Amino acid sequence: MIGTSQEQHLRNQSLHQRRRGILGNTLEAQKKRFGLIFALPAFFFFGAFYLYPLFQTFYVSLFSWGLLDAPRFLGMANYSRLFTDREFINSVWVSFVYAFGVVVPIWFIALGLALIFNRPFPGRQAYLTVYYIPAVISLTVWSLIWLLMYNPTFGLFSVAARAVGITGLRMLDDPSTAMPAMIILSIWKGTPVYMVIFIAGLRAIPTDYYEAAQIDGANAWQRLLYITLPLLRPVFLYVMVISIIEAFKVFTPMYILTNGGPGSATRVLSMFIFQNGFQYLKMGYASAASVIFLLILLALAIVQFRLLRFQQND
Amino acid sequence: MPRSITRPLSAILGQCALFAGAILITTPALYMLSASFMTNSELFSARFQLLPSTLYWGNYVEVFARFNFMRYLSNSVFVTGVIVLLNLLFSPMVGYSLAKFDYPGKNILLLFILATVMVPFTAILIPLFLIVRGLGWVNTYQGLIIPFAMSAFGIFLMRQFIVSVPDDYIDAARIDGASEFRIYFQIVLPLIQPALITLAIIVFVASWDEFLWMLVVTTGDALRTLPIGLAKFREQYQTRFELMMAGSVIAAAPVVIMFLALQRRFLQGMAGLSGLK
Repeated sequence: MIGTSQEQHLRNQSLHQRRRGILGNTLEAQKKRFGLIFALPAFFFFGAFYLYPLFQTFYVSLFSWGLLDAPRFLGMANYSRLFTDREFINSVWVSFVYAFGVVVPIWFIALGLALIFNRPFPGRQAYLTVYYIPAVISLTVWSLIWLLMYNPTFGLFSVAARAVGITGLRMLDDPSTAMPAMIILSIWKGTPVYMVIFIAGLRAIPTDYYEAAQIDGANAWQRLLYITLPLLRPVFLYVMVISIIEAFKVFTPMYILTNGGPGSATRVLSMFIFQNGFQYLKMGYASAASVIFLLILLALAIVQFRLLRFQQND
Repeated sequence: MPRSITRPLSAILGQCALFAGAILITTPALYMLSASFMTNSELFSARFQLLPSTLYWGNYVEVFARFNFMRYLSNSVFVTGVIVLLNLLFSPMVGYSLAKFDYPGKNILLLFILATVMVPFTAILIPLFLIVRGLGWVNTYQGLIIPFAMSAFGIFLMRQFIVSVPDDYIDAARIDGASEFRIYFQIVLPLIQPALITLAIIVFVASWDEFLWMLVVTTGDALRTLPIGLAKFREQYQTRFELMMAGSVIAAAPVVIMFLALQRRFLQGMAGLSGLK
């Protein structure tokens, strides 16, 4: 009798403990479950529309496929063809020329403007608004505006060029000026965004640094060189990474103004992929080009992060 | 020269330079506006005109009459509107989960979301099209919308804001017996309202402007959004610049007006993308 009641007691106790254990776990488990439920859409979405396509790009690149016929396995043949395709090599080159032609001037102009806007002056907010306007105009619209601007006979750009003595300018028809034409409109549109990012970065620098430097007798130039620029490094790196990716993604201005021409002068990688995929229906070949495109950007990102680590160490 | 003279002098010169810069920077936009009010012969005349001789509204009338412009406009409004709503629904939810919960796979998800910021859309264009085609979504609204239902940067932006919401608020509500959904809707969301507006602005601008995907996924005229409609118009009517500019003004107006109305929020949003506030 006693034994059984003791057993009962023990059983009750362990049951109690277990229940507490379960209860404790359920609170934690419940939290875990809700965390997962809230994140579930993201798992599905990024799985279906990013992760799966990333693998699929590589998989499709191993085939010859025109969408309407059956895919034919090629192995790495698409890649070996790409590396001997002068059009592709040209596209890689054109993308690099465009990207660096755009981003390097943008870094300097945006930083310069940010330094100007970092100090108070009459009408600062109004000027900031006006200077930002190119960034809020849709890129399609911006491209159409510049199509008109570059028109050889009555476009404002050509008219202005004539006014300073440059005649016979056909920006979009001449292979040597088509790329500069793209670069000009892209710098014009891209600078304000990075200017605003730099302004935010400058504002995050504590003012005591400047006050201390001023007490020590540092002049404006020294303050810029030894306080502002070093402390702006993380922002500068962010701007570098994002602007280069953005520049490599470019498509719309080329589609609207030149369609990659004249010849292949403005056929950037996105244009190459788009044309091979959707105009010549070479899904495998375009996918192989996409993989190379991705690898190029990956390599650039690694170089930039190396640069960051190096800068942090010194 | 004494400083008392050079100071105001440089200030005046600075103002002049800023003003000249402002004129230069806005010239393309003003030129678009001006050209949209010119007649075709005015724009094409041998004597260059910067401004129209009269405000000619005919281009705006013709742009709606001549082609499916109304359709493009309503498609753009609908597609952009739904994309913004979907992002407002999902981004804070996922951001909250990443900021305040712990579960297996969380860090992988966060890392992956961060990594997708680096993946250019073009690199997954072909397979994404193949998936959408497999689902039978080519030339449908869901085909235009669903690939943009979430964005990595939106989720990340929300996460950054929600991390700064004190845990005490959430735990106090939990002790009071509020359900997790109630905590999310009645405590977390109201606290991050400014961030939600920023998110809405950024997503609105990006999807209003989206070009490549809309170009690839629309096969007919019926589902084209404004950017695609304008690009196709340019292919058909090579020389009707005044109509192109009228259409462009209409396409650019919503974002420009929104920017002028909400400039501070806009600029903060752009800076916010870089993780600075």
